[in-house]
Amino acid sequence: MSIPSFVLVQGVVTGLGYGLLAMGLVLIYKTNRILNFAQGQLGVVAAVFLVKCFYDFGFNYWFSLVLALAMAAGVGALSELLLRRLANRPRVLVMVATIGLSQVLFVFTALPFIRPKNLYKPFPVPFDVSFHIGTYTFTPAEVMTLVVAPLVAIGLAALVKWSTWGLSMRAMAENRDSARLSGVWTRRTSTMAWTVAGVLSAFTAILTSPGQTSSLTEVLSPELLLLALAAAMVGAMTSLTAAFVAAIGVGVVQEILIWNLSSTAQVDLVLFGIVMVVLLVRVAALQTGNRREERSSWLEGTRTRLRTQGALRRRVGSTGVWVALVVAALAPLVLSTGRTYLLSQICIYAVIALSMTVLTGWAGQVSLGQFGLVAVGALLAAHLGTRLPLVVLLPLAGVVTAVVAVLIGLPALRVRGLYLAVSTLAFNLWFMGSVLGTTCWDVPLVHRRLCTGLPNPQSTLLARPSLFGLSLGSERAFAWFSLGILVLSLLMVRLWRDRGVARRLMAVRDNETGAGAMGIPLARTKLLAFALSGFIAGYAGVCLAFATERISTATFDPTYSVLVVSMVVIGGLGDIDGAVLGAIYLVGLPAMFGTTSTIQFLTSGLGLLVFILYLPGGLAELLHRLADVVTLSLERLGGHGADPPSDTPVEAVTPQVVG
Amino acid sequence: MSPAGERADGRGPARLELDGVVVDFGGVRAVAGAGLVAEPGAIVGLIGPNGSGKTTMLDVVSGLVTPAEGSVRLDGVSLVEYLPEERSALGLVRSFQDCRLFPELTVEEVLLLTLDAGRPVGVVSTTLQAPWARRSERSKRRAVDEVVGSFGIDRFRRHQIAHLSTGTRRVVDLASVVLARPRLLLLDEPTAGIAQREAEAFVPLLRRLHELADTTIVLVEHDVPLVFALCTHVVMMETGSVVSSGTPDQVAADPRALAAYLGASAEALAVSGAPVPGAGGTGSRSSPDRP
Repeated sequence: MSIPSFVLVQGVVTGLGYGLLAMGLVLIYKTNRILNFAQGQLGVVAAVFLVKCFYDFGFNYWFSLVLALAMAAGVGALSELLLRRLANRPRVLVMVATIGLSQVLFVFTALPFIRPKNLYKPFPVPFDVSFHIGTYTFTPAEVMTLVVAPLVAIGLAALVKWSTWGLSMRAMAENRDSARLSGVWTRRTSTMAWTVAGVLSAFTAILTSPGQTSSLTEVLSPELLLLALAAAMVGAMTSLTAAFVAAIGVGVVQEILIWNLSSTAQVDLVLFGIVMVVLLVRVAALQTGNRREERSSWLEGTRTRLRTQGALRRRVGSTGVWVALVVAALAPLVLSTGRTYLLSQICIYAVIALSMTVLTGWAGQVSLGQFGLVAVGALLAAHLGTRLPLVVLLPLAGVVTAVVAVLIGLPALRVRGLYLAVSTLAFNLWFMGSVLGTTCWDVPLVHRRLCTGLPNPQSTLLARPSLFGLSLGSERAFAWFSLGILVLSLLMVRLWRDRGVARRLMAVRDNETGAGAMGIPLARTKLLAFALSGFIAGYAGVCLAFATERISTATFDPTYSVLVVSMVVIGGLGDIDGAVLGAIYLVGLPAMFGTTSTIQFLTSGLGLLVFILYLPGGLAELLHRLADVVTLSLERLGGHGADPPSDTPVEAVTPQVVG
Repeated sequence: MSPAGERADGRGPARLELDGVVVDFGGVRAVAGAGLVAEPGAIVGLIGPNGSGKTTMLDVVSGLVTPAEGSVRLDGVSLVEYLPEERSALGLVRSFQDCRLFPELTVEEVLLLTLDAGRPVGVVSTTLQAPWARRSERSKRRAVDEVVGSFGIDRFRRHQIAHLSTGTRRVVDLASVVLARPRLLLLDEPTAGIAQREAEAFVPLLRRLHELADTTIVLVEHDVPLVFALCTHVVMMETGSVVSSGTPDQVAADPRALAAYLGASAEALAVSGAPVPGAGGTGSRSSPDRP
């Protein structure tokens, strides 16, 4: 391993970028206890606006910079005003709201008074200074980063340490309620924190954008977020200094790895190994600092009160289900091939969302790596698809993925909530980049070559198999197959909910001590949630691989995992019907109403925010309210107060029971 | 698996015997050689001022605190070697103040959950709807139907715990205790934090619980009239020792008990034989804090 000095300096430059990001994450986490997924995007609007001011308006660089920073501060403050409405909601919802926020901000960059006329002009830099170390020339932008980023960091540290706001913020971080009672204006402090976070984010974007032409509008890739988060966790999500220093370390390690290792897959492998080690080592510190917040109920208030019940309500519900089922089953006969393909996609995404419902909705464990699990199933399909019949492959993939999921879930026995989001995200990136991306690798000691990755990471072709002798080659046949899988999954998950599995998961989520005292085995129940979720994600992965017929590493990008989280939140967290509704909303609607990515982002991002703000129960709540209205009007029409004797035995699965 | 859910051996209520129990917390002697006997089927009330060691006694029985000296026997078997988890397998159930309940679950789900621990059904059998899984779920639901009916919480069945009042939650807690089929039930201040009106309803409710669960009960309670009305045996503690013990009438007549505790509130004595709803309760409830 060789480490030329310019690689070290390069590492510092990279690390400084991560550092500003990590400080922003810590700042928001300290004040609001949320993982801010919009941290990167907050400042991007301002960075784009800087380009606009510089080129289109012809302002001088420094004036443009001041305008841009002011705008970033405004964006930060406005974001806080929006998210403030969620102060008493479960943290997981707020986290998803920040995902929505970042997507809305992304759309902002396309607004006419922000978007520059020519996107391809180089990002402006104020001076033209460069220097050489060895053969490498440092660009003016890198020089600027080396100078400005430490100044910003020191400024922030000073602000937190000596200003009144800093004191208030630290008090809030210790104990929000006590801080309020001692006269700290938590709202103002929190607005201020977001304002500062916006400015920090703008610095990140302005310093890292020069030199990159493509990623101007999307700075926060999951990979970048993960590294910044890992750095923030070194400081237990509370220490700004530790986060900043650790981020520089991460940058240096990354550049050294890139210089020495041949493939990015190997770099990722080492980096994510480091992230996992950091997580496990810092668990104790993270836990002690944040015990109170993590204990609060995840879903308090999201389940709606039952308005109507009884046999008639059940009948209304089951009629609805049957109508939906018949429509979906007949649809492939009339739809075009493209639309039929879309139907299979919706079904498969709904199944993946169901795996999320079990894990996040019931067990309260946040996963941002569900597509890593889906990838396990898909990989099995790629290797065994031609050798095993589908009826064997599906359960096999389920079981294998369940085992993998349990392994990922092991840290969950010690960590709770949001930290798991980080380790699952790391798993997703690692599995996508290193396992799928490496076709073959040499086993070190026995000198054998193992080919476990995708045969072709860019594009692996899969032939659709047949099921019981019926070919699934046509889109129509495959749509029916996917629908069948969805219906079976729904039946299975409903059984889990009504016959004892869900209540155990929820009991452990809501009151660990109480559940333990009752004799519910805690560790086993927690891992069970991962196993069940992994099982579903595994066979869904097989279906997804065969549905698309051509898979690559990009098919399993963590952004899809985030999409699935949005799905279950929009649908109604923890609700089985909600998973299906969420899939229809997020996969079906964008495909039908717009093919441009902007419209897609707008549907999902705005939709997410609107749902979280105004409809905590999600689409499922709307559906249940509708069923209530129908039931009530039927009762009024029929004029019978008492329910007619039910023809279904009490033991039968009761569909459409709220929550 | 622990047979906590089902009283497998079919034995009736247990006999509890504590003798010469000493508990030290650092330099503080919380319990100094206290003892009590709860005969099978008895309701024993532990009373005394704050800090007299009542709750510590319950902790000793449930195994959360290990005594420095003394013996704890359940039906003559020494419990000292048993972990808290193992004690629950012996039929020893402790109801904490409200902490066993789960905000997001419905009343029905919480009660079913109580039965899940004793009769676990694997997820595979549930998914495949194996005959034993169906049978088990059906019998659990029947047991829940019964207990929901006898505690009068039928209309709350499908309500989430979070939407119930503290009093109703406490009733649900007691119902789940019945389902756990205890041989010895430890109740820690069952009426703490609930409205006076609801607290008055607790005497018949606890009697019903005692009858349904067919168990020995040891309870710690500040509401002296409630204890005197309900218990078959009262143990009065002060600064870690038992100052008086016997039937409610005996304790009420005991001058040592009067001096230690009851003396401050004459009305508490007046209502000891026949509790006057409302009037006596409020006065005596505040008395432990101002002896």
